[in-house]
Amino acid sequence: MSVELLINGKAFNVDAGIGDTLLSVLREKLDFKSAKRGCNQGVCGACTVSVDGWPMRGCLSLAVGCAGKDIRTLEGLSATRRMQFLQEAFVNFGAFQCGFCTPGMLVAADALLARELNPSHEDVKVAMSGNLCRCTGYLPIVAAVRNAAERIRKEAARG
Amino acid sequence: MTIEPGLFLQPKSADEALHMLFANEDAKLISGGATLVAMMNAGVSEPTTLISLAAIPEMNGISSETDGTIRIGATTRHRETAGSPLLKGGLFVVRSAASQIANATVRNMGTIGGSISFADPGLDYPPALVAADASVEIASIRGRRRISAREFFTDWYTVALEPGEMVVSVYLPGHWLTGHGFYIKHARVSGDYATVSVALCRQEDGAVSVAVGGCGPKPIANSAANAELTASLDDAAIKRASDILRDQSDPLDDVRGTASYRRSLITGLLRRAVRQAEKSVGSES
Repeated sequence: MSVELLINGKAFNVDAGIGDTLLSVLREKLDFKSAKRGCNQGVCGACTVSVDGWPMRGCLSLAVGCAGKDIRTLEGLSATRRMQFLQEAFVNFGAFQCGFCTPGMLVAADALLARELNPSHEDVKVAMSGNLCRCTGYLPIVAAVRNAAERIRKEAARG
Repeated sequence: MTIEPGLFLQPKSADEALHMLFANEDAKLISGGATLVAMMNAGVSEPTTLISLAAIPEMNGISSETDGTIRIGATTRHRETAGSPLLKGGLFVVRSAASQIANATVRNMGTIGGSISFADPGLDYPPALVAADASVEIASIRGRRRISAREFFTDWYTVALEPGEMVVSVYLPGHWLTGHGFYIKHARVSGDYATVSVALCRQEDGAVSVAVGGCGPKPIANSAANAELTASLDDAAIKRASDILRDQSDPLDDVRGTASYRRSLITGLLRRAVRQAEKSVGSES
């Protein structure tokens, strides 16, 4: 069936079966490749995208159920100042190695900073508990997210 | 996996959904998708018709009834339940269970109705709902009925839903709005299903209600165990209560632990729940 998806502020008409996930439609039909297919079971978080402002599993979202929702992938979020700070911090803190989890990590971190610009170590851990990383041991990721938040706060304070 | 052509129905009311369910007996209900879509991805479930409950206002949200009962709509997401200030006192047990389901992203998706209808024995809600004396409102085109959470969970992955029925809401009794509630979960890693879990509610006057999850086809609760803990919270009483619960348990050997390991966890988890309840006496939970 035909479904209209609003992705990064732009409308796309796609033909999707009821079993097609948002992740498969993004990657295979619309060429948005940032969200990754890891476990396809909702465990690993590599497919995380933002839906109506909340991080969601691309692999557990049916495309036909996402009509009219505000879907943001890393491709779209990268244009924002907040994501630029996050990406710089991930580079500066060595918050990735193979990079497979990174887009999902960034989307989850971005959703956290949208609500909480002064997150504790625990806040970051909870917000990103659904994103598995097999390279870093997580500490650089938590540090990077808190550093990005700090730099955003400082920039806001400078006005 | 693509299942073509497939029907994706989006009713606007519970009654409309029930008529669709009646007319499509092979249809599956979907709301958050956290479980069903994972099963579809794994090829375990291949529905040709889905009825989405996501756009039915009457099935969503948490509210307080005039008699103090708290109603949680079936499509209420775990995130909302985990943060609801209405779930206080003993009912904090439900909030605590919700906050320990999977991880933050999945809690943005999964719903209480989907969770309890799936009824995996390692789920967090079932023991919390049994301990809190919850009831489940079930609807079909023939009408609505309400049964206790204890009767709702019947066997491994099996609940008291008949064909054509769905969960509309969960009701939590107002008599638990005072006191304290705790959900203690033991899992291999954060976010996993429980290996074993214990839910405990305690009134200001000392009345205790406990339920054990992950130790059999459905949550274990026993009035004699509750009586032991209502009479005393010392180690001997905890031992007697956990012996009663363990005798009633029927756990499996699986990847999360052997049956004997699971049985051996009951006492320690119950003690942790009781000690937390003791600490909270006289303070707000």
